[in-house]
Amino acid sequence: MLSEKQKLLRRLQAARFGVIEANIYLDSHPTCRHGLKYFKEKKAELEELTAEYESKYGPITAMASNTTDHWEWVSTPFPWERGES
Amino acid sequence: MWEYQKTLEYPVNIKNPNPALAKVILAQLGGPDGEVGASTRYLNQRYTSPCREVQGILTDIGTEELAHAEMISAIIYQLTRNLTPKEIKESGFDSYFVDHTTGIYPSGANGVGFTVDYLQSTGDPIADMHEDLAAEQKARLSYDNILRLVDDPDVRDPIKFLREREIVHFQRFGEGLRMITDKLDSKNFYAYNPSFDIPQ
Repeated sequence: MLSEKQKLLRRLQAARFGVIEANIYLDSHPTCRHGLKYFKEKKAELEELTAEYESKYGPITAMASNTTDHWEWVSTPFPWERGES
Repeated sequence: MWEYQKTLEYPVNIKNPNPALAKVILAQLGGPDGEVGASTRYLNQRYTSPCREVQGILTDIGTEELAHAEMISAIIYQLTRNLTPKEIKESGFDSYFVDHTTGIYPSGANGVGFTVDYLQSTGDPIADMHEDLAAEQKARLSYDNILRLVDDPDVRDPIKFLREREIVHFQRFGEGLRMITDKLDSKNFYAYNPSFDIPQ
């Protein structure tokens, strides 16, 4: 059974994968309009999901740490632990 | 430069530890066709690439391979949780354990440590692209062999994802090779190194 956190993470990983795939495809097809449109859509989706995930479960990048009393980056688990990806 | 993201590219959640399997999967961390070698190869080759498209392909695939090394490491880490000395001995994991305990060390399945002798950066983008195409095929067949040896669906799932990525990368390198050869000077029909030689 996936936790609520993992369910959101799956959607985020799927959007992130779309961005990675479009990025590499566009490197060799830099004028493909369909590819550019797909990249833009996935990027918007990823940004939205990242904001939602970080507000609920903590930073995905150290840069997104946003607390004043402790360093948030090291207060959440790293992704190689079982159940954290 | 790079920025770390605290997510795996694709999930790795393994219920049952299996140290014998961890040893096999090490092949794709520090083995001759593993992810550490792939990443090191592409990220070093990119500097002398003659066009920005191929510089992009090498940078972005080299970066994705780092995320794949992390996935393979996560698989090995999770397969070697909570082991007893008996399990370590009986599984054949003892020869790894004696040097590394359950730390992640980039060696191959046979215990030979990772070496850059596995890869080249020739300064000749035509030779490099051909090496990269071969590298993706060799990594793909290593994943095929791993899938022949693995029953656990928790392990098969991320391995299948990684196998598919090798096929996509092979496509991109094929396009990179075509872009480089398309841009050769018409006098350079013997395909001398377009990053170094100026054909007369």
